[in-house]
Amino acid sequence: MIDRQIPQARLDFIWTLSYGLTLLFLLRLVNLQILNTAHFREIAEKNRTQIIAQSAPRGRIFSFDETAIATSKPSFSLIYFPGQLKTGAETDRMAGALSRQLGADYESIKSNIYRATTREKPVRLAENLPPKAMLRLSELKAVYPGVDIIVEARRYYPFGAYLSHLAGYIGKMDPKEWAARSTDKKYSMDSRIGKAGLEKMYERELKGRDGGIFLEVDSRGRLNRVLESRKWAPGSDIFLTVDSKAQAAAEEGLEKSISGKGAVVALDPRNGAVLAFVSMPDYDPNQFVVSGAEKDKLAPGEILPEFNVALQGSYPPGSIFKIITAAAILESGRVKPEETFFCPGYYDAGSRVFKCWEKKGHNKVDFITGLTRSCDVYFYNASQRAGALAIEKYARAFRLGQPSGIALPEEKNGNVFGPGTRAAKKSYWFIGDTLNLAIGQGETLMTPIQAAGMIAAVANGGVFYRPYYVDRIVRGDGQTISLGKPEIMSRVKLKESTWALIKAGLHNVVQGGTGYMARIEGAEMYAKTGTAQNPQGKDHAWFVAYATVDGKPSRVAVAVLVEHGLHGASAAAPIAKAVIEAVLRDDLAAKKRLPFVGPPAPGPEGRG
Amino acid sequence: MIFTPQGGLRKNRMDWVLFFAVLILLAVGTVAVFSSVAALPQQARIIRVQFMAIPIGLTVFAAAWSLNYQIYQDQWKFVYGFLLLFLAGVLFWGVMDKGARSWYRLPFFSMQPSEFARVGLILVLANFLDKRIGRIRELKTVMGAFALCLPVFFLLIKQPDFSAILISFPVVLIMLFAAGASLFHLSIILGYAFISALFPILWTIIVLNPELLDSSLIAYFYHLSDSLWGAAAFVAGVAALAWLFRQLSVRLYANVSGIYFAGAALVLVFGFFSGVLMKNQMKEYQQKRLEVFLSPESDPRGAGYNLLQARIAIGSGGILGRGVFSGTQSRLGFVPERHTDFILAVVGEEMGFWGMLLVAVLYAVLMRRVMQCARLARDRFGYLVNCGIFGMFLVYFGINFGMVLGFAPVAGVPLPLLSYGGSNLVATLLALGITESIYARRYALV
Repeated sequence: MIDRQIPQARLDFIWTLSYGLTLLFLLRLVNLQILNTAHFREIAEKNRTQIIAQSAPRGRIFSFDETAIATSKPSFSLIYFPGQLKTGAETDRMAGALSRQLGADYESIKSNIYRATTREKPVRLAENLPPKAMLRLSELKAVYPGVDIIVEARRYYPFGAYLSHLAGYIGKMDPKEWAARSTDKKYSMDSRIGKAGLEKMYERELKGRDGGIFLEVDSRGRLNRVLESRKWAPGSDIFLTVDSKAQAAAEEGLEKSISGKGAVVALDPRNGAVLAFVSMPDYDPNQFVVSGAEKDKLAPGEILPEFNVALQGSYPPGSIFKIITAAAILESGRVKPEETFFCPGYYDAGSRVFKCWEKKGHNKVDFITGLTRSCDVYFYNASQRAGALAIEKYARAFRLGQPSGIALPEEKNGNVFGPGTRAAKKSYWFIGDTLNLAIGQGETLMTPIQAAGMIAAVANGGVFYRPYYVDRIVRGDGQTISLGKPEIMSRVKLKESTWALIKAGLHNVVQGGTGYMARIEGAEMYAKTGTAQNPQGKDHAWFVAYATVDGKPSRVAVAVLVEHGLHGASAAAPIAKAVIEAVLRDDLAAKKRLPFVGPPAPGPEGRG
Repeated sequence: MIFTPQGGLRKNRMDWVLFFAVLILLAVGTVAVFSSVAALPQQARIIRVQFMAIPIGLTVFAAAWSLNYQIYQDQWKFVYGFLLLFLAGVLFWGVMDKGARSWYRLPFFSMQPSEFARVGLILVLANFLDKRIGRIRELKTVMGAFALCLPVFFLLIKQPDFSAILISFPVVLIMLFAAGASLFHLSIILGYAFISALFPILWTIIVLNPELLDSSLIAYFYHLSDSLWGAAAFVAGVAALAWLFRQLSVRLYANVSGIYFAGAALVLVFGFFSGVLMKNQMKEYQQKRLEVFLSPESDPRGAGYNLLQARIAIGSGGILGRGVFSGTQSRLGFVPERHTDFILAVVGEEMGFWGMLLVAVLYAVLMRRVMQCARLARDRFGYLVNCGIFGMFLVYFGINFGMVLGFAPVAGVPLPLLSYGGSNLVATLLALGITESIYARRYALV
């Protein structure tokens, strides 16, 4: 070695430094690449994928005769992928063009585009675009890169308000509803869910599996390629027990009535299937499907008529309650059916005079006539013999004060009133209360669906079925789940003779009594009119009826309530008649060839 | 490990271990560059340049290897003059790109003189230190070495090309250290550099945490640089403090020379003024880089984005990597500067831990072999040149790995042999050719 004066120690120091540095970097690499791979890989995946959810079509809702009540139709959404526009001026120009084409607010479109650009995520600029806008938007797509159109399924109710209280509607989730579903893979934050009625009750079945487009995007959010396009799976179809013709007749009839408000419930007495279900005022569920329209965004002062009259409207039953009173009278055995009471048009209860609805009086009235003419004085007398407690007992037996059990939310119970309830409240029972109870006034309250249940029980001999409206569910794969199983809630046990007398009375109501307007050629009608006294305004009109053809078991029982309808016979009876005719249309058409024989005797103008 | 001649005078003309390490690094780098540019619009040009640079670089390597390196010492004035002219020329005839005039545009390719300046500076400095090795412990020699660098640094600042200075300054220090310069002098220089870097960092920390200004002392310190009076007060304060300590040491009969106190005070004062100068001279993006390094969360979508995305890319590679040409982070543009400064992120993502291990180990081998060549050199000049080249690789390795792995701020420094860049590649292979030349001529007989 020549003398080069190499400082050995210093040399060793520098290359040790280089080895130390290498070691430090390798340790760091072990930490990053071996210990934390999963964490970083997840971030890298999130970096590059964007998912555009495509909502699956909800299951359709059909009537029993397979008329679509709720269905889906394709809807087009406008999507914007950020990153392709460079200047703000260009962005503003595009926002201007889009807002003109969409008829949307320029500022909101612009802020959406800027949001997409700053967050580097695609956004939906517009949803539910009308097909006629598509052509023009397709042209824009060519001019402004980053704009794209995707197809989704959108809820559509072909008949609008038709059956809206049963079908319900869908809408965006509120924060509470989202919190309950945030862990559910089937829902994303902008999913729509059933908010009322069937849509809500059968949300799990109707909800399909959403599809999605998985996109690979670059660092500026531009679309690179489509990784995967997952097809949606539609939800299950629901077939209702509702008869579309009967439903239409009920809707139309109620709409044309004096007030246009009220409820119609038609049941099949053989099993409790709901044949028609109308509650008015109603609403068009389509309005909630359209982008942005939510319940709280209705015009100021406008409230959504979500109140379901058929389930939640409690009214004094008026004279239709006399069916129950009649049962109590006959079952008590203290009044013979042929026994007569004299009706002078009023009843003197000592401290107060109770009037019959007929001022002229009905003269001598036996049971059948009392029911047929709806003679208040007969029931005043007879009920005092039978006793208020008996009437209260039968009111309970006819399921007043209990929900009908239909699978719809927030059903009201109505109200039972009698000596028993008074005693529970530690109050007194007066003779006047008995008289009020007997003719369905006072504190007794009934919902239309309870009234329908009552008349159906009369038709089938005392059986209360749980009203149901879903006949079957057909899954996406074609599998059918049958749900239409009759379920007996309770029974009313009356003597055969009692049933026969009540039915004879109800039959006479149509033939020559207060309900003559509901006569149907070819069918045997049994009905009762009623007027619910309304201290706030005009009285409400009730009508309950069922019909048989050729002595076969009755297939339809209907309850109609027309708010402020005044007279059950004139306001409510034609609606019930139309519904029954619609249900029995095949039987009646078959009978049309036979000559009709019956006494078309004009009855007195009925009230009560 | 001292070379002991075995089997007479037969010896290798080439350090094959070093050569193959270089070739493997080049191969890995080329694959990574191809993968990272696949989606870029300038893909065709980059691939063309890379394919042109490799043969040119290997030719330069072979030429430097066969040429006796002693000619650089002999003709050092020519080398130095050419170096200065080359750097000065780019200020006149260079092309402006990204705010810096640092490129010569020639008919077929572009050239970056600052890359070659690094190598030239090592040669000139090695000659200087070799000539004055007898007086190496004098301050005059150290100052002389820096005086030699000063024109080069000045021309680099004029471009401006800060990363070249960032690389060259530590190389000068390592060469002085390897030549045997006084540790006292070196620590004064280091202290000066440390303090001039410390002040901007302190100010940046205050900017990041404005609530610190509530303390009046810190507020006073922060506003020191604002006015001449503040600066004068600082100088006076430091002088008084140095005098006080000097008096204290005299009273305590401590045998400490007064020059240490004066030196410390001067370092502090000059460091302070350099710091102020640096703070005021720093461009906004440089200020931002410093802030992001000190607090990466402060701006995850902005300047901190680069570092974060590079780390995600490396981490997501795992042990085996995601496969060449399959890294989503780099190919979809989440990693910026992926074919140059952040090429390691591409290697880490696509080739995984094994790829990174390979690169790091090859670099360690390369540095080790260059150091070995330094030991074996026939003269002191060769020894010093190799120490400079070793230092250059060490600095590149430390800064680039450190930056990608999050130990150092984003500095805009490539990783030689891996990163894309024609001039850098050719200059690096030139330096390695000189190393091989020194190795081949390790004894008097050729």
